[in-house]
This record gives sequence, C-alpha cells and structure tokens, in this order.
Amino acid sequence: MPKILLVEDNEMNRDMLSRRLEKRGYTLVIAVDGGQGVALAKSELPDLILMDMSLPVLDGWEATQQVKADPATGGIPIIALTAHAMESDRQKALEAGCNDFDTKPVELARLLTKIEELLKKFPPKA
Amino acid sequence: MKSLSFRWQLILFILLTCGVTLSLAFVGFYLYDVRQFNNEVQSRLEKTQLLMIENLVPLLEQNPHAKDLQLNLLGVDGQLAAAAVYSTDGKILARYVRAGLTEVIPPLQVTRLLDVSQRGVLWTPISSGRRQLGTLYLKAELSDADRDRLSNLLRGSAIVFLASVLLAVAMAWRFQGRITEPITELARVSGSVQRDRDYNMRVQTSASGEIGELIDSFNAMLDTIQSNTSELERARVAAEDAHEKITQAHDQLEEANRTLEARVDDRTRLLAKAVKDAEEASKAKSSFLAKMSHELRTPLNAIIGYSEIMKEDAEDDGDTRRAEDLDKVLNAARHLLGLINDVLDISKIEAGKMELFLETFDLTKLINEVIATASPLVSKKGNALAVDCPADIGAMHADATKLRQMLLNLLSNASKFTEKGTVTLKAVRIIEEEADYMELSVIDTGIGMTPEQLTRLFQAFSQADASTTSKYGGTGLGLAISKQFAQMMQGDITVTSKPGVGSVFTIRMPAKVLTKQPKVVNNATNKLTRSPFPSQNRPKILVIDDDKEIRTVVAELLSMSGYDVVEAASGQQGLDHAARMVPDLILLDVMMPGIDGWTVLSKLQDNPKLADVPVIVLSAVGDVEMAMSLGAASVLLKPVDASRLTAEIATQLSPLPKCYTLLVEDDADSRTLITRMLEREGWQFRAAINGIAAIRVIKKSVPAMIVLDLKMPGMNGLELLDVLGKNPAWAKIPVVIVTSMDITQEMRDVLTARTLGILRKGQFTREQLADHIRPAVQACALAEA
Repeated sequence: MPKILLVEDNEMNRDMLSRRLEKRGYTLVIAVDGGQGVALAKSELPDLILMDMSLPVLDGWEATQQVKADPATGGIPIIALTAHAMESDRQKALEAGCNDFDTKPVELARLLTKIEELLKKFPPKA
Repeated sequence: MKSLSFRWQLILFILLTCGVTLSLAFVGFYLYDVRQFNNEVQSRLEKTQLLMIENLVPLLEQNPHAKDLQLNLLGVDGQLAAAAVYSTDGKILARYVRAGLTEVIPPLQVTRLLDVSQRGVLWTPISSGRRQLGTLYLKAELSDADRDRLSNLLRGSAIVFLASVLLAVAMAWRFQGRITEPITELARVSGSVQRDRDYNMRVQTSASGEIGELIDSFNAMLDTIQSNTSELERARVAAEDAHEKITQAHDQLEEANRTLEARVDDRTRLLAKAVKDAEEASKAKSSFLAKMSHELRTPLNAIIGYSEIMKEDAEDDGDTRRAEDLDKVLNAARHLLGLINDVLDISKIEAGKMELFLETFDLTKLINEVIATASPLVSKKGNALAVDCPADIGAMHADATKLRQMLLNLLSNASKFTEKGTVTLKAVRIIEEEADYMELSVIDTGIGMTPEQLTRLFQAFSQADASTTSKYGGTGLGLAISKQFAQMMQGDITVTSKPGVGSVFTIRMPAKVLTKQPKVVNNATNKLTRSPFPSQNRPKILVIDDDKEIRTVVAELLSMSGYDVVEAASGQQGLDHAARMVPDLILLDVMMPGIDGWTVLSKLQDNPKLADVPVIVLSAVGDVEMAMSLGAASVLLKPVDASRLTAEIATQLSPLPKCYTLLVEDDADSRTLITRMLEREGWQFRAAINGIAAIRVIKKSVPAMIVLDLKMPGMNGLELLDVLGKNPAWAKIPVVIVTSMDITQEMRDVLTARTLGILRKGQFTREQLADHIRPAVQACALAEA
C-alpha cells in the first residue's frame, strides 16, 4: 500500500487524519514539525507527503522547498494543507513546490480524490 | 586731399582758382604793357630814323662819302644803342655806339634792306629823289628810364597780384564759413551721433538750398530716430520694470514655495505618520482577522473531523441514530465554518480590503462550472436545474471568482427555499446606447417573499425573518456579500418575489467592469430634483471634497438644480467656509487628506452655530454607521448618482409640512418601506436616519407623530425617547416603535409607558401601522384648523 508522510503539529488533526487514512488502507508515517518532516522524507522515502504549512522549527513552505531541492526526495508529490483559505497562501504553497493544495478543515472525500490523482501521476516504485 | 577737411579743401580750391585767374591776368597785363612799351620804343625809333634821315640827306647830298659825320649830333637819343651810316657801296661812313655798350656794327647787307622785322633794329635807305645816298642802321636798346619803368610796372603788378590773392584768401576765409559751416556742423553732428548715439543733438545752423534741405532732412531723421529711440527707451525701461517686478514676483513665489514646501513637508510627515498608523492599525486588523479565522478553524477542523470519524464508525456499526445525531453536529459545524468565511468577507468589504481581480473570461464556461458545482445542492430537494444562456453571450471582464461566489450563493438560496420545483439560471446580454450589461437571473418556484420580508433581505446578519435560519440554515450574510460584490463591480442585485410563486434574483453588471469607479455618476438620463425654493431664493450648499473633478461635477449639478454652490478643497477650508457663510446644507466627502471628513463632521456638530446645518456624507460602504454616529443628516454611498443626490438635498431642505409624521430609522430599505406605507395613507412625513438627525428636524417643527426604530447608530431610539422626555414641548409627541430587536421585559415596561405600541418589523401590516398613526394626525389637523 502507498506510504504517506503526514507532517502536522496539531495532535488532534494528526490523529484524525492518520486514523481515517489508515482506515482506507494507507501506511502512515508521522512527523510533528518541518525539520522532522524533511528528515523522514529522506529516510522513509514516502509515496506522498501531506504537509501542513504553519509548522514549528521549519514551516511547511521551507520544508517543502528542502524536500523538493533534494534529488532523493524531489520526486515525491506534496499536498499542502493550510487553514488559511487565502489565495496568497495557495500561491505561496505552489511556488514553494507543492503539487496540490487543500484547505482545512479537511473534506476527506475531496482530499482522497487529490491523493489518488497524485499517486496516479507519480506512481509508487513497486 | 581726402584727409583734408572740407573747409580747407574749399579754401584751397578758392586759392587755386584765384591764383590761376590772377596769374593769367597779371601775365596778360604785363605782356600787353611790354608790347605797348616796345611799340613806343619802335615809334620813337622811327621818329629818330626820320629825323636822322632828314639831317643826313643834305649832308650826303653834299658829300656822298663824307667821313666826318657826327651822328650824335644828328638826332641820336637815349634809347639808341648803336647807329651806322653806310655808303651806297657799303662803306661805313659814320658809327655810333652808346657809351658803356659793346655793340658790333654789322656790315651792310643788301637783302637786309627790306627786312625790318628784327625787333629794335631798323635798316633805312637814305635817298634823295631817285638818287641812292646810302643806308642808315639803327639799333634801339632799352634806356635806364625804360628799365625803371618796366621794373616799376612789374613791381606794381606783383603788388596788385599779391593784394588780390590776399584779399581773395581773406574773403574765402571769411565767406567759406557760410557754405562749409553747415556742412561741417552736419558732419560734426552726424559724427557725434554716430560716436555717442546721442540722438538729442540737432544741426543748429540754418542754410539755404540743397544743404538747408539736407540739414532739415537730417534733423527730421534725428527727430524720428530720437522719438523711436525714446520709445524704445521707454519700452526698455518698462521692460526693465516688468523684469524687476517679475524677478520680485519670482522671489516671492520662491519664498512662498519654500514656505509651502516646508508646510507640505510638515503635512507630509504628519500624513505619513497618520498613514503609517492607519496602515499598522489596518495590518493589525487584517492579521487579527486572519488569526481569528485560523484559531476558529482549527478547533472546527477537529470537530468536523472527529464527527466524521464517529459517523463512519456508527454507520459501520449500524447505529443509524447516532449517525444521524453526528450528521447534525456536522451540519452545525459546517454552518459555523461558512459563517466564519462570510464574516471574513464582510470584514474585508467593510475595511475596504476586498479587492477586485478583474480578468476577461468566457461567461458560458463560468456558468457551466457553477452549474456543475451547484447541481447536487439543487437536486437535493428534488429540484430541477435549468440553464438559459445564449451560446454567443460572449466574454465578460470582471472578477470571476466573486461572480462565481455570487451565483453559487443565489443558487444555494434558491434551492433552500424551493422544493420539487425548478431553479433556472438565465443569462442575457443587454446592449443599449453606451451600455453593455450582463443580466444573470436565478429564478425559483419556491416559497417567495412578502414585500416586508424583501426589505431586510440584503442586510448583513438578517434573513427574511428570524425563524428562517433555524428552518433553512444559512448565515444570512451571503446575499449582503453578493450585493456588495455586485456594487463593487458597478452593478447591483435586485429581487422580485411573490409569496407562494417564487423569487427572481437578478445580478446586473457591466460586461466590462472598470477598475476605477467615479464617486458621482451623472448620467444624462438621470432626473434631477430641483431646489424646493423659488429661483430668486437659491439655498447655499457647501461642497467639501478634495477631489476637484468631483467638486466640479457636483457644483455644476447643483447649480443646474437651483442651488448656490461654494466649494472647499479640504477639511480645514470647509470648516472655515462653513463658519463664515453658515450654509443651508453641507455635502461632505469622508476620505480627505489632512483633516478628514470625520473630523470635519464632529467639529461642525460641536459648533452651536453649525450643528443644525444638515450634512450629507458621501461615504464608502464600511463608513455608514460612523457617519450616522457623528451626526450626519444623511449618508449616500459612493458612487452617488445625480438623481439620488439632488433628491436627498431637496428632501433635506424642503420646509416641513404641518402635521407630519417623523420616521426615525437607520436602515434605508425599512425607511423606504414605511415611507411608502405613509405615502399611501396620504400623510405628510419626513425621515431621519437616527436620533441626532431626528432632533435636528424636531427643532424646526414639532411632528404630529414619531415612528421610531430602536437599534440605530449614533443615538438609538431609547436615547431619543430620553431626550424628548426632558423637553416639555416634545414629551407629549406620540411615538410608535418599529423594531426587529428582541425586547426584554424591562424595556417593554419602559416603552409601554411612553409609546403607543411596539410593532415588529416584517410582521405588521400597513393597516396596523396606520391605526397607530391616524389618531395623532387627525388630532393635529383638528388643532391646526
């Protein structure tokens, strides 16, 4: 099953989202800040990253840039998650290198569609 | 010669002429004298010859060879230089040479006997009858006396010559002046004119003839030059004066500029600080809003997420009741989320932060997208969704995101209030003269609305009636936001509705939305309301606006409508003008640099002389309450159209009718609704936007009746009642309350004691209202009669 790295500092959101994704059969790796997110992306090489944008240590935009800059992890698709429903945030996320964007609170059906679309576009290496 | 002056040239000419003439005369006279003298000598010689021959003939007759002839005794005179007598054979018989002379006596030459041409020499044959006796030779020479005479002659002539020359010179010297003097004077004057450029000089001598004419012409020329020159000089002096004045003015201007610059710098610094403060405040507000929305969304995120998990679990467990409950929680949470989003939009609009992102897009494509999004929503209650849009409707230039939001809002509303009916989205392009509009209508066959319900429709936080929210959901902000969006894009949303039949919401927007919209719109089609006073009594209106263009448009508009307009370009100027002239009405723009409209408004209210002058505020969307609070008589939203502006001014200035009803209500739609009811009853009325404006009206004339709203910015209904109660003349004015507020028991007690009754907005009929008012109006009419 595809492996998803969830980078999220809020415990409840992390718990919720990971439980719901696991229920649908995804393998979840959890990071609680941007720094850990970048490290885990490198060691775990997930098939997709769900990246919260307002993170401690290293924010989501910075973490995304680092992940995308590393040749080992640069090919991993990233979906930005943010509570700021602002056009500028969306723009900022896409500029940082995110492949897609979704707002919180997460509408699971919509997020699942986006995840599936990206996994189709960037198929996991067996 | 050329270097010599004319005077000397002339003198030389005279001298030369005289010299030549006199010399010729002298030589002529001298030669004539010498010739006369010679002739005299010749004739004397001939006399001597005749005498000598007379003497000689007898002697020679006696002796043809007589050798003892004494010639000096035979008539020789002093002039004779030599004499000889020859015999016929050529022998010299006698000879004579004057003492002291060495004369050679030439031998007799026969040929010579006939030749007497040699001057002073005579050869004369001596004969007696036919007989040749000999020949006489005489040679004359000038005597001493002759010499003296000749030299005297020469001397005399020389003296005459010299005297003549001297006389000529003297006369030339004396009289040449008459000719040369004017010319030299002319030369001197012209030279000095040339040298000194002094055109005041004149040639003073008079002369006749051509020189006189020349001098006259020269003087005339100098006159002309002098007058030209003096004119030139005057012009030059004038130019210098002007130059000096210009320089002075320039200096003053520079000084003024420096002062102005300094003041502008001061102002700029103050303004910059104010702007910075405002920007900081605005930033703080924006970041507060962003943070608040984040802070609210985060727990909502959890609520929605866990509810969904629990709902899924419940569904998995087959616990439908719990699943349904959780569905309610979810709906409430989603409603809250929508509310937060809407509040964020409204806050942005009110803060003027809502921006337009204008782009050109294909309207058909946008409509298809909207339909795709809205169709699940519409079909939820068994409604059909129809689209009526011509394929060639074309492109539109507007904010597509906002238009999408507006259409979704209208479709969502329509589907909420319609069951098993049809919701139609209809698009029409209307091309009129100089106008190109898009009309997008959402037509439903739902429950519809009463006119009373319609009045509250577009207000934030209000729905057609209080029970709607619980029954149909929705935040009540959507329509208000959509209407603001439409107005931001120079359009509007209108509604027509019939209870039980359905509603039609129409978005009308220009096909090409302009970036900048003018504050005042003056369409040729706009009907202007004229001044309520006769033309000789034009009310004075003070227009305070920093925008010159607006001032000009408004001034033209108002003066066309029968008012005298005074313009003020700044807040301070406005206050100054107001204090000086005390206008009948003030038109005030809010956004001004320096002293802004708010400051002007509060200062006007603080001035007892000006507090009663009605002020119409031209304001942006978010500023209406502020304007009301500060005491504006009326607030017009920008862009203001000419017909509304002039209508409002005429209303404010019209004299109050007798027995009128005063409506005190801040909401424009409610005002329109109630005034229409009063109009239909045929009663005179006047509307005021809050307590402050109401007092200004009551001061002028006490109304027969007051219809009073409770919740109003500035001075609310309760506060107004308080003020009325303190004035004995006003305490007895009958009052009816019209409100949508929830009234506490305590309030109800107060109001019941003071008023005729309380009517709930949207729930009373025209008849109910009329019943409350009629007795008061009739009583007043009776009292007046």
